[in-house]
Amino acid sequence: MSDNPTVEATNDEPQATTEHRIPQPDALTNKDLMKSWFGWWWANEVPHTFDRMLAPSFCFGLIPSLQKLYKDKDELAKSFQRHLLFFNTQATWGGGTLTGVTLSLEEARAKALANGEEPISEDMINNTKVGLMGPLAGIGDSIDSGTVQYIFIAMFLPFAKQGNFLGALLPFLCFAIATFTYGYYFTKMGYSLGRSAAKEIMTGGRMQGIIDGLGILGLYMMGILAGQYITIRSFLKFSISGKVFNVNTILNQILPGALPLLAVILVYWYFQRQGLKITRALLYLTGALIVLSIFYII
Amino acid sequence: MHVTLSVWQALLIAIWVALVESRILGFATLTMRFSPLMTGMMVGFIMGDIKQAMIVTAAIQLVYMGFVAPGGALPAEPAIGAAIAVPVALLGHMSPQGAIAIAVPVALLGSYLYQFRFFLNTFALKPMDKYAREGNARGLRFSIIGIPALISFVLFIPLIFIALYFGAPVISGLVSNIEHGTIIHVLNSVGGGLAALGIAIIMQVIGKKRLLPFFFLAYFMSVAFAKLEINMTIYAIFGVIFAILYVMLSQKNASENS
Repeated sequence: MSDNPTVEATNDEPQATTEHRIPQPDALTNKDLMKSWFGWWWANEVPHTFDRMLAPSFCFGLIPSLQKLYKDKDELAKSFQRHLLFFNTQATWGGGTLTGVTLSLEEARAKALANGEEPISEDMINNTKVGLMGPLAGIGDSIDSGTVQYIFIAMFLPFAKQGNFLGALLPFLCFAIATFTYGYYFTKMGYSLGRSAAKEIMTGGRMQGIIDGLGILGLYMMGILAGQYITIRSFLKFSISGKVFNVNTILNQILPGALPLLAVILVYWYFQRQGLKITRALLYLTGALIVLSIFYII
Repeated sequence: MHVTLSVWQALLIAIWVALVESRILGFATLTMRFSPLMTGMMVGFIMGDIKQAMIVTAAIQLVYMGFVAPGGALPAEPAIGAAIAVPVALLGHMSPQGAIAIAVPVALLGSYLYQFRFFLNTFALKPMDKYAREGNARGLRFSIIGIPALISFVLFIPLIFIALYFGAPVISGLVSNIEHGTIIHVLNSVGGGLAALGIAIIMQVIGKKRLLPFFFLAYFMSVAFAKLEINMTIYAIFGVIFAILYVMLSQKNASENS
């Protein structure tokens, strides 16, 4: 994740734990996990910005648990600050799992600090979080909003067509209950996974395989979504000696789906060169799309 | 049945839209945004004609079936579309198809309003950083939830109220004029193209160039198999299999080399 400037900026200074005694953390219970999962679930998209994306909501969920872990004011403030850096993922598959994983790492760090041992570094916590957020978002976006949601809507749509309000209420309730339940399950799973993996994460090894595997799945699902949801086609027509040529038809004969792919590659290429400047990319892309479509080029 | 739209009814609908679009009701508001159904139901409830409201909303829902926001960029706000189109349809005794013609452009405009919210939320970042530095949990909580929610309410309530109370009759006239014009073409093109942004964000965030072939594999699979209408779950299963195969083979290579 070296190409993310906001995350790189958090260099950990060496811990001088001998100066003042850091109190022992309280152990995290299932109730704390529920509180943190609920906090993330509730705040989820409320403070969304282009600079930090969903980092504040992730921090919001962690607050009660961090307060139990870091009785030392400085360490608490540092933990708040590191979880306000850029973060974006999907709510249940990404956010649930990562809430659990992050809490287990924070707990290990808090314990080590209190015992005067070498703690898991702030960088390690951030890199784990940031390394997993993209792949899990790719999976979660396709499953939760792309599939689960529409299964429930399709199931109850006949009610709505007949004018029955249950056609609206039931899909909402089913979606809310299902996602809340398995999101909490992912939180608990992430927590126990993180506890057993905390040592491995520090030494590398198997974790690399997991991150690679999830990365593949995330990129793969994004490829599917790109193919299905980006709708850019050319409306350009020209005629040579009375014969009309339709650019879109020609493009489709050469390479079907070339234009949507080109759009993704251009934005990705921009991020590669300029870093993850989302607001600017949004403005440029919107501007380009407006200009091209005014002249009916797309 | 004669239906009217009083100040209070318009205000209640506007407040509902602000609740949904501010996301203050938690993650599950996702489906309230992506789907017009709950908003249609509330409009029917507020205006006293649930049955007709649901019939109209079901028609609007069909347009937005399978709508997703990869990486968070939704190309339209069906909830805002429904909040305007359903009252207009009830007032004017319009057909569900007529309501769709209103909902689609309004939802496109609504998506820019939602994006504008992200810009305004930036104001909450400064107090957030300050409270985090001080280790002030109460202040931090307020700045994460309170300030952005307030911003959304100030943004959405007046706009939706004005659009409904003063605009509803005008909108139905206006939309029929621009339905096939350049404006709608531009809005559609921008909406359809912006999905590229969210996808590129996730690709960059995953940050592993050597895994990019899997993106291209999936892209051309979905283009090539578009006519087969393969279910997303089947695609996800393919993805899991590719991921497992890759990790298995690469770890086998690594252990043989060492």
